[in-house]
Amino acid sequence: MPTVVVRTHQLTKDFRTGFWRPRPYRGLDGLTLEIAAGGVYGLLGPNGAGKSTTLKLLLDLLRPSAGQAEVLGRPAGDTRARQRLGFLPENPTFYDHLTAEELLRYFSGLFGLTGSEARRRAAHALDRVGLGADRRRPIRQYSKGMVQRVGLAQALVNDPELIVLDEPMSGLDPVGRREVRELILELRDEGRTILFSSHILSDAELLCTAVGILNRGRLVASGPLHELTSNRVSGWEVVAAIADPAMVARLTTRAARSREIAPGRSSFELGPDATPEPFIAELAAAGGSLVSVNPLRTTLEDVFVRAVASSPDAERAG
Amino acid sequence: MTRSRIWISLVVAAAGVGLAATVLYAREARHPLPAPETRLLYLRSGRTADRVFLSFDALAADVYWIRTIQHYGRDVRSTRRTGRFELLEPLLDLTTTLDPRFNVAYRFGAMFLAEPEPRGPGRPDQAIALLRKGLANNPRRWQYAHDIGFVHYWYTADYRQAAEWFERAAAMPNAPEWIGPLAALTLAQGGDRDSSRRLLNELRSSDQSYVRSAAERGLAQLQSLDAIDELQGMIERYRTAHGTYPSGWDELIRARVLPGVPGDPTRTAFAYDRESHAVSLSPDSSLSPLPPFLQGRR
Amino acid sequence: MSWRRVTLVALHVFRESVRDRVLYAIAAFAVAIVAASILIGQITAGQDVKIIKDIGLATIELAGIAMSVFVGIGLVSREIERRSIFALLAKPLPRAEFVVGKYLGLVLTIVVNIAAMTVALYLMLAFLDWRASPDQRLGWDTAATDPRLLVAVGLITVEMALLTAVALFFSTFSSSALLSLMFTLGLFVAGFFGDDLRHFGDIIEVAPMVGAFVSALGWVLPAFSAFDVKAQVVHGIPVPPGFVVWTIAYGGAYIVGLLAASIALFSRREFQ
Repeated sequence: MPTVVVRTHQLTKDFRTGFWRPRPYRGLDGLTLEIAAGGVYGLLGPNGAGKSTTLKLLLDLLRPSAGQAEVLGRPAGDTRARQRLGFLPENPTFYDHLTAEELLRYFSGLFGLTGSEARRRAAHALDRVGLGADRRRPIRQYSKGMVQRVGLAQALVNDPELIVLDEPMSGLDPVGRREVRELILELRDEGRTILFSSHILSDAELLCTAVGILNRGRLVASGPLHELTSNRVSGWEVVAAIADPAMVARLTTRAARSREIAPGRSSFELGPDATPEPFIAELAAAGGSLVSVNPLRTTLEDVFVRAVASSPDAERAG
Repeated sequence: MTRSRIWISLVVAAAGVGLAATVLYAREARHPLPAPETRLLYLRSGRTADRVFLSFDALAADVYWIRTIQHYGRDVRSTRRTGRFELLEPLLDLTTTLDPRFNVAYRFGAMFLAEPEPRGPGRPDQAIALLRKGLANNPRRWQYAHDIGFVHYWYTADYRQAAEWFERAAAMPNAPEWIGPLAALTLAQGGDRDSSRRLLNELRSSDQSYVRSAAERGLAQLQSLDAIDELQGMIERYRTAHGTYPSGWDELIRARVLPGVPGDPTRTAFAYDRESHAVSLSPDSSLSPLPPFLQGRR
Repeated sequence: MSWRRVTLVALHVFRESVRDRVLYAIAAFAVAIVAASILIGQITAGQDVKIIKDIGLATIELAGIAMSVFVGIGLVSREIERRSIFALLAKPLPRAEFVVGKYLGLVLTIVVNIAAMTVALYLMLAFLDWRASPDQRLGWDTAATDPRLLVAVGLITVEMALLTAVALFFSTFSSSALLSLMFTLGLFVAGFFGDDLRHFGDIIEVAPMVGAFVSALGWVLPAFSAFDVKAQVVHGIPVPPGFVVWTIAYGGAYIVGLLAASIALFSRREFQ
């Protein structure tokens, strides 16, 4: 098994919009990245950044205008690369007239699975996503959440090394989202590699080993999550119970900022160079009591906003 | 799929279509389909057709007209011995009942019907009936009266009728000036070569392309007749000079009476009958056969 | 090319058609028309068998055309419109196999439907035969349940396979169903007049270049009228076996050409 499951080099895609006078629009510009085996890689960015474009280029649904892409050691156009990967498209639709079981048996057949092996794998995949009971009902009768689960099942039926998910959480309720998150972590623990695209950062923060942030076709930040959102503490939040406004004002001068979160309770933010202990001592001297102390770290959102804001050009067309 | 594979697919595509066309051609040559001897037209009555097609009469008329042309085209090429062009008249009747103003159906249809074997059924009576129907439905169209006159002149050799119809045409609104003289000409000397030549020259200015080409053809036939007369004269002089009739064109060429084998305006050699010593138009010539009003006339 | 995968795609198309009510409607309509023709047959003295055969064969052909065209033009474009094609093409399924599988699936559907309609026609003819008197039977050109009808049905099936290939071809690159429909029907009509096009110059006087061009068009366009032996079969005129063989060969060669072109076009296609 290769240690790099996805590799791109200067991958570029131009689209032509407009029929009479086509104007080229660059959907992806010189993307170069490597995704290591094992772990979860999040491809993030605002809408229109090029996330779906990237995934489709990896799956030979789009062809590059320039550059190369390699999946599981083979060029992206090679059919054999797709033997060991699974794909869940964005807002998937399948064939209304089929049942989930029939769909999965059809797809397993396309992977080369036959007879009882195909049946077994299909049943296993459907059970895994929680559709075991409904598998004989036609897909036309499924809710959106169920269709999403069918999509996950068909992405898993061939026991893939790499699973590519395009906006897997879209349209799911909070319960559904948690289930998908747990599934992704399970798959990671089984040693598979998961690549997913999303514009929801909180999911990425909970799941990803590494991320790449796209904006307007360009990769503006990438790397292991823990490096991007550094472990370095960027400050402290001290919540104190203190009634006297004069005391609050005095303590505020020792901190970067403060705000009242309830009558008699305030939150003080200390800068990155300060340590909380002297402040807590001051607090005690001022007659207040300590409620909580929390380290502040750079969130993914901070990284994201900074990266997106710093890329050039004015408002994009969307 | 790589680029080269795509090019190969396109080559296969072109080859497939090309091969198919070749197979089709070969099939026509080797295994032609025998045609059924009787052919049925489900709808023969125009009135029934009118009712069946409701408000789509004009469209149905177009479809029947197309069928008429197809029928004519196929039968012109076919080698059947009986029943050729049998559906022409009913089809034309249907077409013109569904659309009584279908000008081209009347005019070309009449020409199809009047044309003698092998290029048509040779039914000038049906042609005239069709044109009369056209006149009944469109009384102000001088072209139909003119065409009836032409059919009489060209196909039935009834010069009195021809002249009458040309006169009627001349009396109709918007008739061109040359029709009047045509009537007079026809009546006066209908049938001899000079008046025919004058008539044909007038007809060359007709607005009907078919009539124009028929007039050209007629003039070429007249030219052939003149040439035949000359050749006949040469043969008589040869006999006077040499005592016997020539056995063929070669003798006349050897005797330097002729520079080469004589031919008609289509460059088809004239036929010479050794026994009767008569020169005539070759049956292979496209000018053959001569229309009735030119045969045996001076 | 893995025929196993092609078969899977074909069976998938077939299964979808079995569950598609539109096809049943077309087939039921066709059977109804032939049944109604029995009534018409009672009116025209002695010609009833011929009329039923004529109407029966024409109806089978029309139903076949409806199926080939209306399902054919959506074969590929519907998957693209509904976006179910993303999940499918992400599988290790080469594009060529997808195209061929779709085609064979629809042809299978049409063959099954035509077979069903032919059985229905023969049943009706058998019924007529049973009810007819010996005198009436003498008046018929051919037996009521003449097996030679199958030759006409067979050639109609090949004709439909060709029409399906045309519809599929347009489906692979045109995203508008309406446009595909117009092109397919347009080609069908042109093919219908192919015979006249091929001999264009013989009848109409035009410049030789124009005549040659129109003639060439007649040879190159798919000649749908070349499969028509209905008149012969109904009158009992034998169709030469050579004719049948060469006609099937014609259909086969043209279909291969169209499929190759469809594969080439579809392989270049991208899905945004």
